[in-house]
Amino acid sequence: MGPGPAGPHTWVEVMTAYAIRRVLWLIPVLWAVATITFFLMHAVPGGPFTQDRSLPESIITALNRRYNLDEPLWKQYLHYLWNILHGDLGLSFRGDRDVSVLIRDGFFVTAQLGILAFLVASFFGLALGVLSALNQNGPLDYVGVFVATVGAALPNFILATFLIVIFAINLGWFQILGWGGPEHVGDLWNVSAWNVKKLVLPVVSLSFLPMAYIARVTRASMLEVLRQDYIRTAQAKGLAEQVVIMRHAVKNAMIPVLTLMGPIAAVLVTGSFIVENIYSIPGVGRQFVEAVQRRDYAMIMGTTLFYAAIVAVANLVVDLLYAVVDPRVRYG
Amino acid sequence: MQEAELIERAELEGAFVGRERGLWGDAFYRLSRNRLAMAGLVLLFVVAGIAAAAAYIDTVQRYDPYSDQIYTALQEAPSWGHFFGTDNLGRDNWARVWAGVSISLQIGIGTQIVVLIIGLTVGATAALGGRFTDNVMMRLTDVTYAFPDLLFIILMRSVLAGRDWPVISNPKLQIILAIACVNWTIIARLVRGQMLSLAERDFVLAARALGASPWRVVIQHMLPNSLGPVIVAVTFGIPIAIFAEAALGFIGFGLPPPTASLGRLVSDGYAYVQVNYWVVVFPAAAVAILMLCFTFVGDGLRDALDPRSR
Amino acid sequence: MRAVKWLLPLGALVALLLVVVACGGDEEGGTATPGATGTPKPGVSPTAEAQAPAAQQQIIVQSGQPEFYDPHRSNFEQDIAIARALWRGLYQLSVAADGGIVAVPAMAAAEPTVNGNVYTVKLKAGLKWSDGVPLTANDFVYGIQRECDAAVASPYQYVLGASILGIVGCDEYFTALGTTDAPLTPTDAELQALRDAIGVKAIDDTTLQVTLLAPKPTFTTIMSLWAAFPARKDVIEQFGDKWTDPGNIVTNGPFILTGLTAGAGGQVVLEPNPNWALEPKPALRKITIKFIDDTEAAFRAFQTGELDITNIPAPEIPTIQADATLSKEFLKVGAARIWSVEMQMKNEVIAKPLVRLALSRAIDRATLVKVVYNDSFLPATYWLVQGLPGFQGNAAFEDTVGYDPTAAKKALSDAGYPNGEGFPTLTLTTLDRPDRKAEAEFLQKNWKDILGITINIQTVDAKTRSSTFNTENFELFPGGWQNDYPDPENSLIGLFDTDGGNNHYNCSDPDIDAKLAAAGKETDNAARIKLLQEAETLIVTKLCGAIPIYQNAFLYLVNSKMAGLKPNGQIDAAMPGNWCPECWYVKAQ
Repeated sequence: MGPGPAGPHTWVEVMTAYAIRRVLWLIPVLWAVATITFFLMHAVPGGPFTQDRSLPESIITALNRRYNLDEPLWKQYLHYLWNILHGDLGLSFRGDRDVSVLIRDGFFVTAQLGILAFLVASFFGLALGVLSALNQNGPLDYVGVFVATVGAALPNFILATFLIVIFAINLGWFQILGWGGPEHVGDLWNVSAWNVKKLVLPVVSLSFLPMAYIARVTRASMLEVLRQDYIRTAQAKGLAEQVVIMRHAVKNAMIPVLTLMGPIAAVLVTGSFIVENIYSIPGVGRQFVEAVQRRDYAMIMGTTLFYAAIVAVANLVVDLLYAVVDPRVRYG
Repeated sequence: MQEAELIERAELEGAFVGRERGLWGDAFYRLSRNRLAMAGLVLLFVVAGIAAAAAYIDTVQRYDPYSDQIYTALQEAPSWGHFFGTDNLGRDNWARVWAGVSISLQIGIGTQIVVLIIGLTVGATAALGGRFTDNVMMRLTDVTYAFPDLLFIILMRSVLAGRDWPVISNPKLQIILAIACVNWTIIARLVRGQMLSLAERDFVLAARALGASPWRVVIQHMLPNSLGPVIVAVTFGIPIAIFAEAALGFIGFGLPPPTASLGRLVSDGYAYVQVNYWVVVFPAAAVAILMLCFTFVGDGLRDALDPRSR
Repeated sequence: MRAVKWLLPLGALVALLLVVVACGGDEEGGTATPGATGTPKPGVSPTAEAQAPAAQQQIIVQSGQPEFYDPHRSNFEQDIAIARALWRGLYQLSVAADGGIVAVPAMAAAEPTVNGNVYTVKLKAGLKWSDGVPLTANDFVYGIQRECDAAVASPYQYVLGASILGIVGCDEYFTALGTTDAPLTPTDAELQALRDAIGVKAIDDTTLQVTLLAPKPTFTTIMSLWAAFPARKDVIEQFGDKWTDPGNIVTNGPFILTGLTAGAGGQVVLEPNPNWALEPKPALRKITIKFIDDTEAAFRAFQTGELDITNIPAPEIPTIQADATLSKEFLKVGAARIWSVEMQMKNEVIAKPLVRLALSRAIDRATLVKVVYNDSFLPATYWLVQGLPGFQGNAAFEDTVGYDPTAAKKALSDAGYPNGEGFPTLTLTTLDRPDRKAEAEFLQKNWKDILGITINIQTVDAKTRSSTFNTENFELFPGGWQNDYPDPENSLIGLFDTDGGNNHYNCSDPDIDAKLAAAGKETDNAARIKLLQEAETLIVTKLCGAIPIYQNAFLYLVNSKMAGLKPNGQIDAAMPGNWCPECWYVKAQ
């Protein structure tokens, strides 16, 4: 990017303008996603009422009429766009439930899972990475590198399978059915709504891979920072080594780690379908794939748009954070 | 598959800066000094070699991975007769794992070739085509990135399934295209970033001042210098594609039987893991080893191509 | 030391694997401890064993996720299972002393009086809904009118329509608005008139009169189905689509819905209905039904004690049989479900009878069932399943179409493809699930070894598969039929008659058509069953559209604390013995 435009532009103004531009770009992007999804999903063989035991014509006619699927496709498309602008995401074919309510309830659970996994991955990843770097080539380093390498090499469903068989079925330490947290916002502070036994395995399954990557990146970044001149300078000045490390090294080491946070957040918050499926967790990731499998049109559109919006917003937040943390970054 | 972006960014965090001169010779030298990377490379060749041998030499393969169903030897643990044991239809796991390695490698590499083509095209066009083209390409990238990968893959597979079209009906090709179509955004962004910064460089400006045509500038000067991080990204992309195919198989959109990629073997074996976990352990180990090898090689490549040494 | 750096992680990975090995569960493949089969024990009092105290009478059951809790919109078995716990119709299907299925009076007082086409049913006295309001014949009238209402769009309307039971006016009302291409616009008055013209009336509060197009021996059977359940007009009009929510819902069955968490991973809670009129009264205080579509996950949850009753996937049978506790809790119930390889008769190769014969005689059904399903299903060469009236069994057909490699080779040779030469590659379309894939791979090898022909396997997801079937876009298609109600007409009519709605394999044979048409009109039950048997014989010996391979079984795990279950594969849906959930109880420990 070249030099900024003429005139007084404070950093805050520049960033705000940038943020607003990104948010505005969201609209055509989401519209494109919605349109592609809409026409693609109608192009796929099989509809919501397709089943092995064929329904007579009259029943299919009645069902299509009930859900306005008998209108020409372009008309359904326009109806759908119109409804979206009014905040109406339609009804799921399964139980005639409000799609926005279903997504809200599903996201509440997925967000819990995602946030917990994020915290676990960040905490352990950072700790492991920092400790490994400080102990370079020592035993702690080997353990750290090993865990990080293995974690990055195992797909989460393999990991989940072994975790379940060893820790839940054979040892009986944990439970594996459903989500161990509240399913309604009102229950958030209700202690009895939390069941730690059910939380552990899903969170571990989901957080292991991001944790491994955070650990690797943190370690590499720490090692590099520790070699920097200004660290040696601070050490030469006689400041307590711990202070040096904590204040300077870690903070600077975090910068590259931040670039990971966007993709991590996207991975976690949108829900790993596989983890939700294995543990029967009623989250949004699972709702999404089930909707596709069942050709539940309103649900597919709703979850797709939701997913796309979350990913875009997460990326924007990370890009902004990156700019905040690293003053060299400019979005002119 | 947002994990793809996570992994790629993690591996590329070395913050690439474009090179002023092609340093392939120097890079190769540095790579060969990297023990881990060389070990990974060697292991990779060994593994690929055995897989290739198994495909053509019967004594290595020992049984046909698909049609040798021995109904009296179901779900057996490893033995001298069956090195890796047998599966639910009495097929030899050793043969299946090596067949799986071969297929997974094909899918991984095939995907990255397509990703490379699309990513280079989009990225270069964006960087060199002026502001408007750049905007359009970047919006296209945004839409692709925001689009739920799974939905696209499912839709693509469903739309193409059961049709008798000539080339595109090949399921392996469908999977390769499907995975590639959702994973090219990383390469595109990378190429664009590289080219944008290169476009301002002295040597490029000099070339243009000397009258070189734009095409020549791109192909002879800019492309080679962008390739460094791209190669690294592609290397890391291979195991990502293998993972992605495994996940697809897990939710029922993988390769049709009886062909089995490693991911397929793992996800099918998941149903039998309490009866015979060997069915899962060996393919999982194979996936892990491939992943490790590509990671070490990728690390090595990145270090070799990065001007800042470790 | 660098070399050690990579040796260590790899070595540790191996160590991890060894840990897995050491901690692996019991292992022993092979010999099976046969699980209990579902032979219903007629006449056993539900309190045969001592019951646990009320506080322990709570269970957690697995089922797939339902769509609707409205019996007039129920489509799949998990919906039906819940509907049957909440409501009861005029009659109900239950198991007789000889093990057969009979429709006994439930809300009705006795068998109907039949006068030509007119069936008159008297209700028992003193019936009440769960909110105390008396249950009257008008509620049944409303229920049936609702079933025939296009605005409700019930997927089972055809059961009351002309093709099955034939209630007068039901189809006319249902199609009152025409089709998408040719819509009709009746006035409100015309619509109301059509609704009133439906052949169901309340003569008085306890007398219901149903007029059919023609007399049908299956009257009481159909009246047992959820399509004919009663409904409360005032409740539905008050709450609209939310009438099935807890608090709004009103039921006349043994249970009432008191809790509901919708969506994947959700659950419903059922508690006893204080106004349940019949016996036995439910012993369970609370049934929680958790929605888990993935039977693998359900199986694991059963092992951790988080479920008391669950369906299990066939691949897990060896694991179960190898475990001391699980093998005792395993329940296998022969189902009213036949599985076959359906063939597209429009395909010129498949149209040749000798080719079909070769394909059928080359399938080693016994080994297939043993290897892929661990002997939990019944190899079958018949179409009418065991348990149905008119069952003929393998004895009738084994010699004609059963496994015989020599005969199979000869048939293919006679058809013009000796050793498979010149035989085109056919495609088999199946579901992407481990058991279906294993089955397809088995068949592929089976046919290759014996006939020398090549089959391509195409795996698709569930909706695509159904669509492939409905659009007749297949060559070979593993598929089957599960009975809606325990009568052989349901297995044949509509499936093998030329214009049958489910006849997507294009079986078209004038003899078969004649038999099925005659059976549809026959009023004498014995004669009717005989005609259907003759139709089956023609269908199977000609392999008209389908090659039967096995009869399914439902596979469950039931916690050993449970008792009172009377599983019967003819009438169960989603859960074992769910035709009588009021019979279940928890044993005293």
